[in-house]
Amino acid sequence: MSPILSTSELSRHFGGVAALNLVSVAIEDKQVRSIIGPNGAGKTTLINAITGRLPVTSGTVTYLGQDITSWPIHDRVKRGLCRTFQITSVFKGLTAFENVRIARQAHKGGSLRLFASRGSLKQVTEDTWAILERVGLTDKALAPCSSLAHGDQRVLEVAIALAGGPRVLMLDEPAAGMSPTETDQVAKLISDLGREMAVVLVEHDMEMVMSISDRITVLHQGGIIAEGTPAEISDNEQVKDAYLGSEKWAPLVALD
Amino acid sequence: MAPAAGARKHNIKEALLFLAALGFMMALPMWLPNRFYIRLVNEIMIYGLLAMSLDVLLGYTGLLSFMHTSYLGIGAYITGLFLMHVAPGSLWLAILVAVAATMLVAWPVGWVQVRTGGLPFALLTLAFGMMYFTVAWKWYSLTGGDDGLMGMPRPDITFFGLTLASSGDSHAMYYFTLIVVAVCLLLTWRVIHSPLGAVLEAIRENEERAAFIGYDVRRYKLLGWMIACGLAAVSGSLFILYKGYVGPATMDAFAGAAVLMMVLLGGMGSLWGPFVGAAIFIFMQDYISTMTENWEIFVGAVVILLVLFMPKGVAGLGGLLSRGQKA
Ligand SMILES: Nc1ncnc2c1ncn2[C@@H]1O[C@H](COP(=O)(O)OP(=O)(O)OP(=O)(O)O)[C@@H](O)[C@H]1O
Ligand SMILES: [Mg+2]
Repeated sequence: MSPILSTSELSRHFGGVAALNLVSVAIEDKQVRSIIGPNGAGKTTLINAITGRLPVTSGTVTYLGQDITSWPIHDRVKRGLCRTFQITSVFKGLTAFENVRIARQAHKGGSLRLFASRGSLKQVTEDTWAILERVGLTDKALAPCSSLAHGDQRVLEVAIALAGGPRVLMLDEPAAGMSPTETDQVAKLISDLGREMAVVLVEHDMEMVMSISDRITVLHQGGIIAEGTPAEISDNEQVKDAYLGSEKWAPLVALD
Repeated sequence: MAPAAGARKHNIKEALLFLAALGFMMALPMWLPNRFYIRLVNEIMIYGLLAMSLDVLLGYTGLLSFMHTSYLGIGAYITGLFLMHVAPGSLWLAILVAVAATMLVAWPVGWVQVRTGGLPFALLTLAFGMMYFTVAWKWYSLTGGDDGLMGMPRPDITFFGLTLASSGDSHAMYYFTLIVVAVCLLLTWRVIHSPLGAVLEAIRENEERAAFIGYDVRRYKLLGWMIACGLAAVSGSLFILYKGYVGPATMDAFAGAAVLMMVLLGGMGSLWGPFVGAAIFIFMQDYISTMTENWEIFVGAVVILLVLFMPKGVAGLGGLLSRGQKA
C-alpha cells in the first residue's frame, strides 16, 4: 500500500541550526505513527513543516499523491490534513460547542451565507454534538472554553481537529499536562481513531506511545535515527543512547 | 437544543430593545425644542452608523482602521457628484451607486491591507486615508478642493414612485436617516449572527487556528472589510443629503480619530454601543464648542477620562449591570 503522506529529504534551518535535516518518512493510512525524541529533536518542526505552519528550507511533502510543499495552510486542511498544537490553540472567547461548530462549518461549507442563522446549518450542528459526544465534552459544551480545565482544553483541541474531517490527524503532545485518568482516556480515543484514519502522534509519555503505536519514528537532532515497531524501538541501542541523560529514559527502560 | 433556545430568548430581548429604541427615535422630534436639535440627532445617527461599521471591523473582525471616515467621505462625494452630474432626482440610485463605487475603491485597498495584520494593517489605513484626503483637497475641478462640493441638488425622497418629501426638509431627512440606519442595523445584526459572522469571530479570537481549521483568513478579512466600507458609504450618502455639502475636513485624520473615539466610548463588540458613543461624542462636542473655540482640548480631556475609567465603554457598563443581576 502506498503511503497517504510522505516527506522526502525535508530540511528546515533556523539560522545556522538544522532543526530538521533530510527527513524522509512515509505515513501509512489507518495506523498510529508516533514520532518520539528528546526535547528539541525537531518533532514539532516536522509537524509544522508538513502542515504549512513553517516554510521548508528544502525537500518535499507529498499528500494523497500531490506535492503540497508550498500549498497554503487552508488548502491542506480542506483536503483533510488536520492538526493540534503543543501549546493549546483554541478560540478562547467562544464556547466549546462553538469551537467545534466553527471547525465543522469550515469542513461542510456554508460560510458565505450572510443572511442565514448559524443554526440553519443543521448538519453542522448535528455533527458538532456527535464529535463532542465522542471526545466526552458534551456536558461542558456550553461553557466558555477559557473556563475549561487544562485537560478538557487539550481534548477540545482534538475535537476541533476531528471536526475538519481528517484523513491524516497530527497530534502534538495531546496528553501533555493531563492526569493519568485523562491520559488513559485520550490514549483510548487516539487508538480508536488510528483505525479510521492515519494518526501521527508526538508524545513524551512512553507508556502511551508503546501501547498504542503501530510504528514509531525516532528523531534526534533533526534527523531520523530509528524506525520500527514499539518492540524494535525499545530494544534499539542507538535510541537508548539518544535518550541518555534525559528523564524520558526511565519509562523506556521500565518497559524492557 | 439548549444553545438554540438560549439564543432565541436572547434574540427576542434584542428585538424588543430594538423596537423600543426605534419607537423612541420616531417620537423624539416632538420633544426637541427646534430644528437645530433635530439636525444634531440626525448627525448622531449618521456617525453612529459609521461607528457601527467600524465596530464590525474592530470588534468582530479585530482589524483596526484609523481612517474609517475616508469611506464616509468617498460615499458622500460620489453621492453628491452623481446627483450633480448624472441624475439630479434619483436619490436611491445615488445611494446605490455610492455604495458600489466606494466598495470598488475599497476592494484593492483591502486586498493589500489584509496581506498584513495588526499594526501594519492600521498604518496602511492611515496611508490610504491620507491619499484620499489629498485627492479630495487638491482635485479642485472635481471636488471643489478646500471649499468642498457645493451646489448639490436636493432630490425628493421617494418610495416606490411615491414622492414623500424633499430631502432638504430637516424633519423628512430625520425620518429618512432613521429608517435607512435602522435597516442597516438590522442587516448588520443578521450578518453578525450568520455563519459568516461566526468565521469573522473565530478569526478575531485566533487567526492562526482559523487557518488551521480550513479558512482562507485573508479572504474572510477582505469580506469583513468590504462590508464595513459598504456601510460607511451609506453613512456618507446620508451625510451629504443631510448637510447638502461635503468638504475634505470630513475625511481628515481628526475626523478619523473621532470615529474611533465614538467606538471606544460606546464599547466594542456590540452594535448599539457605537450609537451611544456617537451620541456622547457629538453632544459633548456641540456643548463645549458653544463655550470655547478650543473645544478639542476639552473633548480630548473628557475622552481620556472616560477611556481611563470606563475602558470597556458604555456597552461594558451594560455587561457589568447584567452580571450584577445574575449574581
Ligand atoms: N521558530 C523557531 N525559531 C528558531 N528556532 C526554532 C524555532 N522552532 C524550533 N526551533 C529550534 O529547532 C529545534 C527543534 O525544535 P522543536 O520544537 O521542533 O523540538 P521538539 O522535538 O518539538 O521538542 P519538544 O519535545 O521540546 O517539543 C530546537 O533546537 C528549537 O530551539
Ligand atoms: Mg515540540
